[in-house]
Amino acid sequence: MNITKVKDIFLKELSIEFRQKFALAGIFLFASTVVFLIFKSFNNINPREWTILIWIIMLFAGLNAIVKSFLQEKKETYLYYYTLFDPLDLIIAKLLYNFVFLCFLFLIILGLMGLFTGFPVKDTGLFLTGAAFGLFGISIVFTFVSVISVSESGNSTLMSILALPLVLPILLLLLKITAVSIRLLTDTAIMEDVWMLVGVDSILLGAMLLLFPGLWRS
Amino acid sequence: MRGYWWKFAGVLIFLYVLIGGMTIPTKAGIISVIPGNALSGESLNLMITGYNTHFTECTELRAWLKLDSVHVVKSKTIKKISERTAEFLFHIPSVFPGKDKVQPLTLIIDNEIDGVFVQPNAVFITVNDSIAPDSSDWLLGSLENLHEAKGTKFPFRNILNETIRNTFFHVALWFAMFVLLILGVYHAIQYLITREYDHDILSSSYHRIAIMYGIFGLITGSVWAKFTWNTFWTTDVKLNMTAVAMLIYLAYLVLRGSSSDYDRRAKISASYAIFAFLALIPLVFVIPRLTDSLHPGNGGNPALGGEDLDHTLRLFFYPSIIALILLGLWMSELLTRYERLKEKILLKNQ
Repeated sequence: MNITKVKDIFLKELSIEFRQKFALAGIFLFASTVVFLIFKSFNNINPREWTILIWIIMLFAGLNAIVKSFLQEKKETYLYYYTLFDPLDLIIAKLLYNFVFLCFLFLIILGLMGLFTGFPVKDTGLFLTGAAFGLFGISIVFTFVSVISVSESGNSTLMSILALPLVLPILLLLLKITAVSIRLLTDTAIMEDVWMLVGVDSILLGAMLLLFPGLWRS
Repeated sequence: MRGYWWKFAGVLIFLYVLIGGMTIPTKAGIISVIPGNALSGESLNLMITGYNTHFTECTELRAWLKLDSVHVVKSKTIKKISERTAEFLFHIPSVFPGKDKVQPLTLIIDNEIDGVFVQPNAVFITVNDSIAPDSSDWLLGSLENLHEAKGTKFPFRNILNETIRNTFFHVALWFAMFVLLILGVYHAIQYLITREYDHDILSSSYHRIAIMYGIFGLITGSVWAKFTWNTFWTTDVKLNMTAVAMLIYLAYLVLRGSSSDYDRRAKISASYAIFAFLALIPLVFVIPRLTDSLHPGNGGNPALGGEDLDHTLRLFFYPSIIALILLGLWMSELLTRYERLKEKILLKNQ
């Protein structure tokens, strides 16, 4: 692993993202439309609905956003990358980029939800810790699945079919942590769930780093 | 013949489990006790309905109401009505140890055919404020000369009743599924190392049969839940986590069906299988242990042990696991041979 190369790929992703402003704008438009729609249809949203809705919006907005992370470039470009970078550097950079992007998206959705429907979270520290680890897990799964769907000649339907069941365990843990931080549930052993999330993340990360070089060769 | 013995063994053991597991009766038990409550110091006429009992056939029918290890009342007279029902007359003592206003008594019935059987908290006694102890006092000391039930019988559990036999199928299916999944993941890893197409065929066959077992496990569990928890599907963690795991593996089947390029498909599905298996471990083994579950053995202790698995159940449960594993291996071998033939024809036509 080479830190400067990881940084280079990361910056390259960022600059590509900003060069294609319409895609970026599309995702944020999607997020704000959905939040507004929810606000208009529920009018008065209670904390339980808030918990569920914020993660569902996050899941689908994130899926839309990451699908294109590997799909936006041409096959020839990948051949070029293959000669240029170590696969490990590439995947770590992609993962970090996706993670940062998802966090950014999450903050925007959180802001919009806060603006329209209020912010019921009582234990903000727990909520943000849980969200950070959960988003990291989600970005691992999405990155891995987008690698698979790229080797399947850019099939984006495949991406959602594979990604949704795989993120379910992470999402269930996240829902529980969020519910506790809103005080819908009381659980003194909630830190165990946070550690479980860390454990799931590290297992998935290890698996991805081991399997990626083999997949990348095609 | 020599190479096929394990297939015959699988079928024979499964037949043994099917016939034995379905025909052996459960032990005697108590279904209803009327009335369920009484006052201290009065005589109580208990109408008892049993299950698989032999009240008229037996000669030595005895019954006790028990408060704790030393406080026991024996029934005075017994009126046998039928094999299944009988009336027991008790004199409830007027003085109770302890200060609780309402105290539960456990009903114990014993005869030489059915052995001893018990209904905990059968009668609740409301204690009167009495002044003088009367003659019908406690029979102090432990019960003696209890009988063992004759023959091999499955234990009788309230709520479970006859559905206790589902242990041989529902639980054993999960064990067999895991063995097949581990084999499938082993061949997926082998494929990634050696790049031999045969490992991909093996891996996919094991996975397909394991997924089938998983679906059977969910169905048998669902039917079992209908009869014990009174609903086909509950919010129980183990249930829902397994459903998630099945969704992950159904996505594996979709992935395999999506590509026509053999090498690429093999590589991707091997990677996905390993990834899915690693995601499965916390799902099925860790999360249910940390949260409350309706399943036996949650809160950190294993499900198979102590009183949950009687030795007569073991007699069928372990063979059932072995039989289902052998049958699963056989089924996946058939799939493997079919896939190999398909590959051969494909190569010949080119």
